Formats: sequence, structure tokens, C-alpha cells
Amino acid sequence: MDIPYIRLLYKEISRNQRIQARRHPMFEKNMVMKILTYIFIAFWSAYLIFLGVLAHVLFSDTAYESFDWIDGGMVWFLLIDFLARFAMQETPAQNVKQYKLLNIPTGFLLNTFLLRMGLHPYNLFGAFFFIPFGLLAIPQFYGLGGLCGFLLGWWVMFIVNSYWYLLWRTLINRNILYIIAPLLIYAGVIYFGIFYDDNAQWLFLATIHLMRGFCLWNPLSWLIAIGMAIPLYIINYHLQKSAIYVEIAKTDMVKQVKTNNMLFLDKFGVIGEYLKLEIKSVMRNLVVRKQFIYGTLCMLMLCVLFSFTDVYDDMPFMRIFICIYCFTCIGCMTLSSVMCAEGNYIDGLMVRKETVLLLLKAKYYFQCLILIVPLLFSIMPVVEGKINLLASLGCLLFTSGVVLPFMFQLAVYNDSTIHLNEKLTKAGRDTKIQMIMSGAALFFPMLIMYILVSLFGNDTAAVVMLSVGIVGTVLHPLWLRNIYNRFMQRRYANMDGFRNSR
Amino acid sequence: MPIWTASEIQDRGSTSHILMNITIENLTKSFGEKQVLNIDHYSIHSGEIIGLVGNNGAGKTTLFRIILDLLHADTGCVTIDGIIDDKPVACDTAESEEWKAYTGAFVDAGFLIDYLTPEEYFRFIAKISGISDEMLRDRLLLFDSFMNGEVLGQKTLIRNLSMGNKQKVGIIGAMLHHPRLLILDEPFNFLDPSSQLAMKYLLETYSKEHHATIMVSSHNLAHTLDICTRITLLEHGSIIKDYDRDYALLTSEIEAYFKGNISI
Repeated sequence: MDIPYIRLLYKEISRNQRIQARRHPMFEKNMVMKILTYIFIAFWSAYLIFLGVLAHVLFSDTAYESFDWIDGGMVWFLLIDFLARFAMQETPAQNVKQYKLLNIPTGFLLNTFLLRMGLHPYNLFGAFFFIPFGLLAIPQFYGLGGLCGFLLGWWVMFIVNSYWYLLWRTLINRNILYIIAPLLIYAGVIYFGIFYDDNAQWLFLATIHLMRGFCLWNPLSWLIAIGMAIPLYIINYHLQKSAIYVEIAKTDMVKQVKTNNMLFLDKFGVIGEYLKLEIKSVMRNLVVRKQFIYGTLCMLMLCVLFSFTDVYDDMPFMRIFICIYCFTCIGCMTLSSVMCAEGNYIDGLMVRKETVLLLLKAKYYFQCLILIVPLLFSIMPVVEGKINLLASLGCLLFTSGVVLPFMFQLAVYNDSTIHLNEKLTKAGRDTKIQMIMSGAALFFPMLIMYILVSLFGNDTAAVVMLSVGIVGTVLHPLWLRNIYNRFMQRRYANMDGFRNSR
Repeated sequence: MPIWTASEIQDRGSTSHILMNITIENLTKSFGEKQVLNIDHYSIHSGEIIGLVGNNGAGKTTLFRIILDLLHADTGCVTIDGIIDDKPVACDTAESEEWKAYTGAFVDAGFLIDYLTPEEYFRFIAKISGISDEMLRDRLLLFDSFMNGEVLGQKTLIRNLSMGNKQKVGIIGAMLHHPRLLILDEPFNFLDPSSQLAMKYLLETYSKEHHATIMVSSHNLAHTLDICTRITLLEHGSIIKDYDRDYALLTSEIEAYFKGNISI
């Protein structure tokens, strides 16, 4: 084994990964995002330090030692960490792809990327909590060696969790139905470990013993951790190996597709053709489909909360507040990247007259069609008298006439292509304008509703929203034309951005 | 000169009365410090088949993108003028969109909606160009030998086709609505020899039947010299030679240029 050569390769690959992140078009473009990221990290670091100190104070004079409470709640820490990784952690298969033809063994590449994943600084983020907590709680019982064991033990558990996450993330990328498996596993562990009966303490006690073992440098604890890490590493290794070939050959995507002309949309003329594009984009592009599914799930969740539960029955304002979000959430979630999918074939659209205008119209009609779903869900609360029909229609038209036009403004400014079938998680893609507009679209309806309801009461607020919404909806050809004209004024900059980020 | 208006376009009746000339004036484009295009004057006449040749970085694709208004020129303009119903009309490609109805282009994969099947893509192009399903079927028949049974009926999305077949889909998509100005960037790329010959035949026939102005760029000198009525040689963004079709002189001089034996 040529150690200097392996070190050289490892250093080069690490350097390439750093450069890759730093030279991403969005990274260079997005100064605000970078600053916000640093602020976010600084805030959470300070917050975790505070929580670490607070946890020790809170759990001091109890039946267990304070560290036992923290260690006993390991499953919750790991569950939160698992969920947070969906927004942060990437899978290595695509990273290996670019080195595949070089004279570097695939096994070495996979080991490098998996190792880097384990050693990623993100796995140390919990240290902001555990170091202050450990300093206060551990040395008096286990000394400095115990503190080191405690911190190292938690770090190893987070590394194990990162491989556990990678396993499921890779499988979910292949088929979204795999999401059911970790959900069932977590639900099962938490139910049988905590809620099965009043005395169910085995999970609590097991993790306490595991962590005490780390503090005492008990080989058994380390063996258990290694016993979890190594099989997960090996499974991930083989899973990623097959994923590389999927990435290179795109074998999972080369499926036979039935040509679907959706003839029922022909009666809408040219707009119907663009509607077909919109529907097929959702059906056939992984990223667009996921965005749509998440938006729909969020909408359905709010609808169910609104229609079938009595959670907000005592709070009339909250009822109308949830109602408006049933209508707006999917638009806010999917339109923040309006035109970004089209960035892949923007040249083809731009050499044809007014195609972008027609496309925007089709997108608007598509979004309006979706609003039928929350409208149907609102029938039950309307029948039950939780909310009146006027308020429900007011929310619908306020969305189509105010919120959607607001979100469509992003068509003028979005200039970053989303890769339609990309399977990686890419954090920090949104530009500042996307962030501001999405945030505003979520926040302003609430503010407007609050002002209207406070000043005039529910019914008048609904009438105002209905009226404003009708005006905005009826005038859609005008504001869409205005958006198109402004898009055309910015077209060179936008096309440049789309091409650079393809 | 008057600008084309939508009503003039709609009133024109048959497109056969339209002639397409392109005039380029004082066109410059730089990326950062590097100037990639610098053309004082260049005019293309209706019915010509122009071959743009030059080494990598000569500015061929940049010129196409500026003509198609996909890229902003630092200075200068591209004017497309012609005759509609015996009336002279003209428009700056950056100022108007009317020329788009008569223009077809394929530069790269950024022109393809790759999550459609070829059939769906052609139907989409046809529908937005006002071509009926029957007419589309007839028009696709003309491309039968070019497609060579590898494009239609494959039940595959465009993104899963081979590069050659993607190229075919793009070229056919650009020609489906019978544009009067056809711009193809490196159309022979990725095509197998049979398809290259079919491509040559297609372009020659298309030019004759539709009196269209065609611009192609290519590194394949043999094919370019075969089909083009005029060859323009670009170097570092400037036109250094503009040949009418004079085979004896043209072939030897261009080949000599690319061998690096002479500077023109």
C-alpha cells in the first residue's frame, strides 16, 4: 500500500470538494445566503451552549444524574439529527462519478467519501451542547477521562447516525416509498421503548448504560458502537457502489414511457399545450415532483387539521388563519422556484414568440386548479359552521388574486436552473429574493388577515379578501403581461444565470 | 424601414412571399476582458446557405446566440429584413419578437424539453406553431430516413436518447414549422455517417423547396463545403474571409488555413 500516494489522493479529493462547494454559481452569487448561514450557525451554537448549561441546572436535583437524563434521551437526539440531515447531508455516489474514469480504484474513492462523511464537521455540531453540559456534569463523577469518553461517545453515535441516515437517504432516492421504513422503525422504537406501558424504561436505561460505558471506557460500549458503525459502513459502501452505476448509466431513469397526449387539454388551445408541459414536468422530473409532493402533503396536512380536528375550534382567528394557509402553502412552496425548471430549456423557449408568457399563464391556471382541493376540504368546516362559505371563498380568491401574483413576481428574478432529476440534497440554493418573497408570501396573508379581522371582524375581512381577490384574479392577463415584459427586460441576465447553473 | 407588426404577420397569407435577409452592423461582444466577437458589417441574403467555419473559440456559437437574441451584444445590432406582400419590413432581433415566427434554430441541448418523448416534443412544437396533427404526420414523414427508425416509437424520454438522436430531435424540431431562417450549430455533431449524409440531403432539399436562408456552423469541412453556397471564416471573433462558392480556390485555401500553413 503506497501510503504517500493515498495521502496525496485524499488531499486532492478533499481540496476538489472544497473548491466544488465554493465555486458553485449559487455560492458565489449568494452573499446574503452566506451571511445568513453564518448567523444561523452562530445563533445555534450560542443556543446549544445555553441549552447545555440549562440542561445541567434543570436535571441536577433529580432521581437520576443530569447526564443520565441526557443519555437516556439519546433516541430523541438521534431522531432530530436524522431529520435535520435531510436538509444538510449529500450522498457520495455522484461525487464518485467524476473520478470514475481516472486511474483511482472505485473502492478507494468510496472509502474516501464515506470517511469524509463520518469526519464531517457537522457531526461535531452537537459538541456545542455536550461540551458545556459535560464540563458541568461529568468530571465530578468520572474525571477528565470520563468527560473525554462522554464526548467521544456522543460523537461516535452521531457518526453512526450519519451512516444510518445515508442508508435510508440512498434508498429513498431510489424510491420514495422507502421513507416508510425509517418512520416505522422510529415509531416502533419510541412506542415500545417509551409509551408501551407506564414502566417501559428499557430504552432509557439501555442508553444510560451505553453512555456510562463510554465514560468508564468500558470496551463493551465501544464494541456496541463499532458493531453498529461497521455494518452500516459496509452496507453503505455496497449501496453507494451500485448507486454510482445508476448515476453513470442512469439506468433507473431509462424506463419505457408511454406517450401521453392528454387530449382533453386540447380544447384549451395553445395554453392547453403548456398545461400538458406543466403536468408532465411534475410527473417526470424528480425534483419538481418532490417539490409538488411536499407542497401537496403540507396542504393536505393543513386541510385535515382544518377540516377534521377541533384543535382550533376555540380560536376563531386561528381557524381562518389555518384556512388561508391551506390555500397558499402549495403555491408558496412550488412557486419560489418558478421558471427554474425551465432554465434547462430556456433557449428553446426564447427563440419562439411569447412562449414564456403562455407558459406563465399555464402555470397560473395550474396553480388555480390546485386550489380546488383545499376548497373541497373546506366544505366540512363550512357545513359544521366552523367557518362561513364567504371566508372560505375569500381565502381562495385572495390566494389566486393576491398571493399567486406576488409569488409569480419571482419569474422575473429567478435565474438559477434546478436540475430536474438531481438526487442530491443541495443546501443553500435559494437566492435572497426567493427567500424574501417566499417568507413574505407566507407572512403577509397572516398579517393582512390579522389587521382585517381585528379592525372589521371575520365577515368584513372575508368580504375585503374576496373583493381584492376577484380584482387580482380577473386582472391576471394584465399582471402576467407585466411580469412577462419585465422578464424580457432582464432576459439576458436571466438566460446567462440559467446557462451558468445548468 | 417599418417594423413588422402582428397584424401584418397575420394578414400575410402564405409565408412564401417572405424573404429573409440578415444584416449585422458593428457587432461586438466581450466576456470579461476577452473580446469574442467583432464584426463591422456582414449581410446574409435570402436563400443563401451560409457555412460558418473556424477553430474553437472563433465566435461561431456566440454569433448564433446574438442573432437569436439569446445573448446581449455589447454594441451593434442584428437586423432581419424582408418582403411581406411586396412591402419592405425589418426588425432588430433584440427589439422585436416577430422574426421568431419565421426562424428555426438548434444550438444545443438547451433547446430541448428533455422530459418529453420525441413524439410529444414534436407535437408541442407543432401545436404552438399552428400545425395540425395531420400536417405534423406528413411533415415527419419527410424526416423518416434522417430518423432512421431510432427516434419515433422508442417510448423513451428525450433525455434518455443517445446524443445523436437528441441532435436529430433538435434539428427536426427546428425545421418542423418550415422556418424561413434556419440556424443550426454544428448539426453534423454526434450523427453517424448515414445520418450525416441524410442531414446534408435534408438541408439542400429544404433550401431549394423553401428558399430559406440557412446558417450552419461546422468543424466538418467536407460537408460544409458540399452544401453551403457561401463560407465565412471566423477567427478570434472576426470575419477574416468570406467566400462565395468557388470550389477550386475555396477548398484549397480553407484546408490550408486549418492546417496552419497560411494566414488569410
